[in-house]
Amino acid sequence: MRAGDQAAYAVLVARYRARLGRYAVHMLGDHDDAEEALQDAFVRAYRSISRCKDDARFGAWLFGILVNRCRTAGRRAARRQRIFVRDDASLARAAAAEEPEAHDWDGTVRRALDRIAPALREAFLLKHVEELEYEEMAQLTGAKVSALKMRVLRAREQLRALLSEVERV
Amino acid sequence: MFEHDDDALNRMIDRLREPVEMDPRLDARVMARVAAPGFGARAAGVWEWLRRPRAVALSPLAGLGLAAAAALLIWALLPRVPGTAAPVAADITPVQFVVVAPGAESVSLVGDFNDWDARLTPMRAERDGRLWTVTLPLPPGRHRYAFLVNGARWLADPSAPRAPDDFGTPSSVVTVGG
Repeated sequence: MRAGDQAAYAVLVARYRARLGRYAVHMLGDHDDAEEALQDAFVRAYRSISRCKDDARFGAWLFGILVNRCRTAGRRAARRQRIFVRDDASLARAAAAEEPEAHDWDGTVRRALDRIAPALREAFLLKHVEELEYEEMAQLTGAKVSALKMRVLRAREQLRALLSEVERV
Repeated sequence: MFEHDDDALNRMIDRLREPVEMDPRLDARVMARVAAPGFGARAAGVWEWLRRPRAVALSPLAGLGLAAAAALLIWALLPRVPGTAAPVAADITPVQFVVVAPGAESVSLVGDFNDWDARLTPMRAERDGRLWTVTLPLPPGRHRYAFLVNGARWLADPSAPRAPDDFGTPSSVVTVGG
């Protein structure tokens, strides 16, 4: 491994950190989990960079790795939450910690995203936040365009209902 | 049609598109991991990858196939003059969808056949707005669908079999031909 390789890769990391980080944070809802998933994605991409056949598509290829890392991290987080649920003291503390931001818009957005299924959240973020075309989303996620359109529609419908619930309060 | 419901959703999307602060030390952590002893041996040369020349090889047959695909795509994208629509295949069956939704302001039919796009197949109100209908030509096969009432309420067809669903919102199945 030459020193030049790492310097070149550091440039790529700096270039893609912000955009990929935003997706990971919104997908996982936890900054630490997001940074771990992003770090993991960068390391895995470096390890297998020879598999990226089209350098013009490096960003999309890297994004695909991150989408997978976020799925894995999300499943891990879900298991962790199930363990916490049995711990009443932690639950009480978490509820108390959430109180002050109950009417805060960022908190509302976060809770709404948290309440929809991960597959719907993933499709919604890729379409409306990352502004990808459905064909690109299909390549990243392995899902069919038709299924992705259905997920985006359902995500929008559920989020709209969740947001209007909050507005009525 | 759904603009008033979309205000909060659009505000949410705007918020989500704002940059998110990431720890700048993340870069250093990534580079420390890729520089770890033993790691480099597995990695292909990034620099080589970045500088690698790219050539696209195309056999005459593949070129011909590509040209045919491009011609087909152009033909598919050409705007159709009214009255000269592409001929409907003989096995296309018109299917009428009917749902009772009294008081609804709008009802759309969404399904596999229109990519679940609520804008594409609006239904028409009949009998003082109680009954909503639309007729759609469908190819043979199994199609999943649902009704979207007022752009927000998801409704399965009570007169059709339910489709298995992972997302907690019901949909129905219609089988055409076969």
